[in-house]
Amino acid sequence: MAREFDIAVIGGGLVGAAIAWGLGKIGQRVAVLDEGDIAFRASRGNFALVWVQSKGLGMPEYAGWTVRSSEAWGGFADELKEQTGLDICHQRPGGFHLALSEAELANRESILKRLHNQPAMQRYEWEIMDRARVQRMLPQVGPEVVGGSYCPLDGHVNSPRLFRALHAGMQQLGVTYLPNHPVEQITYRDRQFVMHTPAGEVRSGKLVLAAGNGNARLGPMVGLNVPVRPQRGQIVVTEKAAPFLNYPVVTVRQTDEGGVMLGDSLEETGFDPTVGTGVISTIAERAVRMFPVLARLNVVRTWAALRVMTQDGFPIYDQSATCPGAFVATCHSGVTLAANHALVLAPLIAGGSLPPETFEVFSARRFDVPAAA
Amino acid sequence: MSAVNEVRDSYDVAVVGAGPAGLTAATACAAAGLATVLFDEQPAPGGQIYRAITQTPVQRASILGNDYWYGARLVRDFQASRAQYVPGATVWSLSREREIGVSTGGAARLTQAKRVIIATGALERPFPIPGWTLPGVMTAGAGQILLKSGAMVPQGRTLLAGCGPLLWLLAWQYLNAGVKIDAILDTTARASRSAAWPHAPAFLFSPYFRKGLRLMLSVRRRTKVIAGVTGLRAEGNSRLQQVAYRTADGAEIRLPADTLLLHQGVVPNVNLAMSVGIEHRWDDDQLCWVPVVDGYGGTSVDGVAIAGDGAGIAGAWAAEERGKLAALAAIRALKPDTRQDILPDEANIRLALAKVERGRLFLDRYYQPAASFRIPRGDTIVCRCEEVTAQQIIDTVALGCTGPNQMKSFLRCGMGPCQGRLCGLTVTELMAQTRGVPPAEIGHYRLRPPVKPITLGELAALPKDEAAIKAVVRG
Repeated sequence: MAREFDIAVIGGGLVGAAIAWGLGKIGQRVAVLDEGDIAFRASRGNFALVWVQSKGLGMPEYAGWTVRSSEAWGGFADELKEQTGLDICHQRPGGFHLALSEAELANRESILKRLHNQPAMQRYEWEIMDRARVQRMLPQVGPEVVGGSYCPLDGHVNSPRLFRALHAGMQQLGVTYLPNHPVEQITYRDRQFVMHTPAGEVRSGKLVLAAGNGNARLGPMVGLNVPVRPQRGQIVVTEKAAPFLNYPVVTVRQTDEGGVMLGDSLEETGFDPTVGTGVISTIAERAVRMFPVLARLNVVRTWAALRVMTQDGFPIYDQSATCPGAFVATCHSGVTLAANHALVLAPLIAGGSLPPETFEVFSARRFDVPAAA
Repeated sequence: MSAVNEVRDSYDVAVVGAGPAGLTAATACAAAGLATVLFDEQPAPGGQIYRAITQTPVQRASILGNDYWYGARLVRDFQASRAQYVPGATVWSLSREREIGVSTGGAARLTQAKRVIIATGALERPFPIPGWTLPGVMTAGAGQILLKSGAMVPQGRTLLAGCGPLLWLLAWQYLNAGVKIDAILDTTARASRSAAWPHAPAFLFSPYFRKGLRLMLSVRRRTKVIAGVTGLRAEGNSRLQQVAYRTADGAEIRLPADTLLLHQGVVPNVNLAMSVGIEHRWDDDQLCWVPVVDGYGGTSVDGVAIAGDGAGIAGAWAAEERGKLAALAAIRALKPDTRQDILPDEANIRLALAKVERGRLFLDRYYQPAASFRIPRGDTIVCRCEEVTAQQIIDTVALGCTGPNQMKSFLRCGMGPCQGRLCGLTVTELMAQTRGVPPAEIGHYRLRPPVKPITLGELAALPKDEAAIKAVVRG
């Protein structure tokens, strides 16, 4: 017999788990349908930044949405810890983007100026620092670092522990987690969604698509257009080392456990999460130029994961016109936006609609504009 | 001998590992005129079984035994061949296109091979009992390495525990070297012994039968062997002080000990093969992952073969023959016009292989370790690198983890420097038991390069193409 829920969330990654946790918290009966142990799971491959600077050029509302999540993150982390006992080590010391040449620094400054010159851009602190000021805050920078940008809103977390805490938390809140339930088909009839999986049917009154790149396939089944594509990113991790880095850098961060994570890359390779030696070598080389002390550390792991990318790089939050009750949430910043997904988006979904004044801009209808000739 | 700067851009055949399989494979490929390189982690050829055979400080031949010294012939043939030999070399990556990442002496480089023969052999099955991480507890294999390479033997009260041929061999070698072994705690399970008996007639004709029997009798004459051991624990504050166990009558016994050597068989070392995406299957007799190979060691990845114990445990003599078969396939593919008298003689190889593999199932079943020694409970450590316990892993199953990869991200289990070598099998079996499904359904960690650690500096110095740089450098 099919199981029935108020809301089904398809996808148990960071986006789906955060929304499910938020729904569980306000008393919804929720099922999370997930794939198995091997999946294209960006949530196990991300860089764990809660990052603000540089986001939103071309869509200032996205910058505002990001700042809002960054502000909510501290309370969100505390709440998860209180509930699950898991410390996800959220820190917000501010973060850097470092430049290895004057040209890189000038380019950086130009991007940030254009970002903040946008009308309707939310004001927040950021600055370009010269080498001397960077060195005062990051004493281990190498001689090639000419400066960088700093934003006090930036931070990072222990992302795998966030992932676990959301799963532990949603279980405590009574959310039903259904692994090995890949959704093959969704039907909508009499205001009810039926998810067809090899492990049986699941029924719900509402539906949230949070299946990452899988949303492109699932969306049209409930009247949603979700044009996303995989974009490969590679990451290198070193052995644990004594703490040397007090601030996260957008491509270098030391975890609370001591390992140093180095990122990242952007490659259009389709559904191919293979690690490439040239790319990880380039990542390693730039990291060593930024922080020469890294050179002697052993690399213990590398991986590639697939980002969930739209044409303009901004998230999609949308609701179906033809199948009321169906929503989609998809982004490539599942860590940064987790607080919003849990605390803002989930209650709105439970209420049945996304207010257009905030969410119209994130609708995939923005892609329907015919291209200029 | 070559350093990394003498590694060429490309080869016909690259062999990884200088144990019996790698040695015969490289020798045969070079004899056929193929440009052949052999990368090996050790400073001298021999693999684990013939480790340090050209330079061991153990002078008295009788200590290590004739079966050890037999390996000298393989090394001599290899050294006389035209294969390039790169010792002290860590192969840390292999791509589907057969690009090999290799490091030696703190420098890394990439090379390309038309065929790759992985001969990385076996490693010891994890033996996760309470206290197995205490100083003073080590594996029998580690003990044997110290003996062969450094003529080092344990001092003080010494216990061996577990099952399998290597445990008996080490005991025999120790006794030959004058080490006093206080006792051997034999964990061979009664159920395993009964399951093995139907295969005993075949084993009677195995060359291992007489040798094994003689060796065990010789050990039994010289030291105490306690059979039917269960409930094994290593105990002590900050280091090993005593070993507790139970026997058939149920009473718990404690023996004081300074050194405990554990062993319960060997399993294929699959990390390099898995990292390149070679298909593996779960073997219900050997209770481990085994690559799916054809009659020449060929795998699901084009141009990559596996020879020796890495393709399934069959022992050193079989490894020697399987190395030749992998070489034969490489020669036929790359140099089809090779004269018959230079090619290894396949009929002879198959005959020899059949002889040494006879009765293998008896050994597999007889020494199949009991579940209680493979699948720990409670506070017993599973992942030594990150200190993850059995109970923590069981708890993630309750959270919905269906396999090792989601579990790993929840607990960091398997993320340490050993890259899952010491916990992978335990995790698979533990999750299988907890979920009530076969191990094949659980799967293994997804492995990626580097399969052995290299420094960031080495990685940074590798050549990069435009596309790679463009993928990383941006505003």
